[in-house]
Amino acid sequence: MSAKPRIGLLLGDPNGIGPELAAKLLAQPGVSDQAFVVVIGDARVFDQGCKVARVDIPHRRVARAVDLRFAGAIEFLNEPSIAPEEVTPGQATAAGGRSVFVAIKTALRLAKDGLIDGFCFAPMNKKALALGGSPFADEHQLFAHELGFTGPYCEHNVLGDLWTVRVSSHIPLKDAAAHVTEDRILEMTRLANTTLKRAGIARPRIAVAALNPHGGDGGLFGREEIDIIAPAVRKAQGEQLSVEGPFPADTIFVKAAEGAYDAVVTMYHDQGQIAMKLMGFSKGVTVSGGLPVAIATPASGTAFDIVGKGIARADGMRAAFDLTCRMARA
Amino acid sequence: MTSRPIALTMGDPAGIGGEVALKAWRARKTSDNPFFIIADPDALGAEARALGLDVPLKQIERPADALAVFTDALPVLAEPLAKPPAPGRPETANAPAVINAIRRAVALAKAGEAAAVVTNPIHKKVLADAGFPHPGHTEFLGELTGVKTPVMMLACPGLRVVPVTVHLPLAKAVAQLSEDAIFHAALVTAQALSRDFAVANPRLAVAALNPHAGDGGLLGSEDDAIIAPAIVRLKAAAVNAFGPAPADSLFHARARETYDAVICMYHDQALIPLKTVNFDDGVDVTLGLPIVRTSPDHGTAFEIAGRGIARESSLLAALAMAADIAANRARTT
Repeated sequence: MSAKPRIGLLLGDPNGIGPELAAKLLAQPGVSDQAFVVVIGDARVFDQGCKVARVDIPHRRVARAVDLRFAGAIEFLNEPSIAPEEVTPGQATAAGGRSVFVAIKTALRLAKDGLIDGFCFAPMNKKALALGGSPFADEHQLFAHELGFTGPYCEHNVLGDLWTVRVSSHIPLKDAAAHVTEDRILEMTRLANTTLKRAGIARPRIAVAALNPHGGDGGLFGREEIDIIAPAVRKAQGEQLSVEGPFPADTIFVKAAEGAYDAVVTMYHDQGQIAMKLMGFSKGVTVSGGLPVAIATPASGTAFDIVGKGIARADGMRAAFDLTCRMARA
Repeated sequence: MTSRPIALTMGDPAGIGGEVALKAWRARKTSDNPFFIIADPDALGAEARALGLDVPLKQIERPADALAVFTDALPVLAEPLAKPPAPGRPETANAPAVINAIRRAVALAKAGEAAAVVTNPIHKKVLADAGFPHPGHTEFLGELTGVKTPVMMLACPGLRVVPVTVHLPLAKAVAQLSEDAIFHAALVTAQALSRDFAVANPRLAVAALNPHAGDGGLLGSEDDAIIAPAIVRLKAAAVNAFGPAPADSLFHARARETYDAVICMYHDQALIPLKTVNFDDGVDVTLGLPIVRTSPDHGTAFEIAGRGIARESSLLAALAMAADIAANRARTT
């Protein structure tokens, strides 16, 4: 692998702030220095994004992947995927979702063919993606399927130096306790360890959150900590992972954010997401951890309410891009 | 400011309650509402010496005496312990005194002799082993004041949260959630915000239970079936409430500007944001009681008891908030 990774950049939903964020990202110093960037998408959508962002991005436009050089300037693989009249800013539509779906499939093909080391995508809308033809509940499943990957993978949420993974995710909260199993905790702890190592952290320090209030308070408010989580932590320690817990959930994120841990294994969706979005709403990054390709996206969404205004903040986009490069280099 | 002192309970004497009380007195300002502690004077004196805290104690006979004493000494209303406490090692034999201190503080507040009750942390398991039937202070205070379902609020500068379910395993909390409980908690909160916190037209955010507020039923039915109807009832009762709002995007700085309190569905949904916003100065307030009651939001902290490193900031915030609420109530009634 070359010292400078080859990174794809996707525009996200054409009806959201994605194209604007992609343009703003490319206008920042230090972006095209750390990677050979190839933008993958519809050039008309990108041009509109540049207009909204009020930036001019010099680049070399090609129509076929074979013409990519991965040298010098930013390159653009132009693949028309949405007619200009189908762009309806601020709405989740099938046309918008299809445009995202097309770009994702192209990026995954380039990754499979070894042409890029990873990709970073601007915000897209899950509902639009489904309307646009993706048969999967979320994009991570789509990635795994297209890559033919069958191992464990999971969405990782990243804020600065703090990572979280989830033992359960998009399920009703009433079912969350039933999903807390020793095997699943072990699997997610191992996955966090692998992903963080890939992001350049030599020996990730991992904390495991409790499920119940006050960590169950010695069994008074639930026994999952005693019966399931603590044994899982001991097993992970037996595998020489640097892992501790279970810790009461109300204080572990603050301790971790202060630098005591690199990652927190959370028991359910909102447990980690409440703390992470509180600590940095516009700076979070979502990583598709476990997959053989480095993939990241900003945690904030398509922000349909501010499309076209030029006021979207690109911090999260930049953090996602930097992280994609970091993982692709390792 | 009222002319009555605040009653502070000892909490578990093996915890950090005594230490933070001594430090809180040391940090007193002339503008503060005076307080007295209901504790064992000998044990507290021994603790002050052991910690090297130069805090003179003065035993008082009745709360009113605290007003004159407070400037020069920490007033103590005696509640003798069965055994001298050892830091970090809770003693079941001392449980009756711990409980009695709460009982007496409440009685003094009900009689109008104390302006408010501030409770130091107790350890639920120690008290349970001694036969105490309540899961925590809040329920016990409800019984002592004849209020069936008091409401617990946690507050720090910038955020107020009210968990509808509290000390239950997560799975049970979800199962116990009801439209009535949400409605009741929110209604009591709205009333308390105007009466106790002088918020003119309180805005309540009601958090969703499930990820992405259930995503139209795909990720759980409670948001549509239980929480939304409770909000409809609240609006009909002229409460300014919105939701169910996805919990993960309800607590960042900009979102916090849109409400005065959040009604939360389970303990950690309330406590994760509270501790993340402000780790040290959280206050626990019981709403809907005829008396004023607050407490620091930390626990007994047995693991650091006796080491002199406990921080009094949460107790100071609890004392200040109790004084504010008492003053607001005095103005409106």
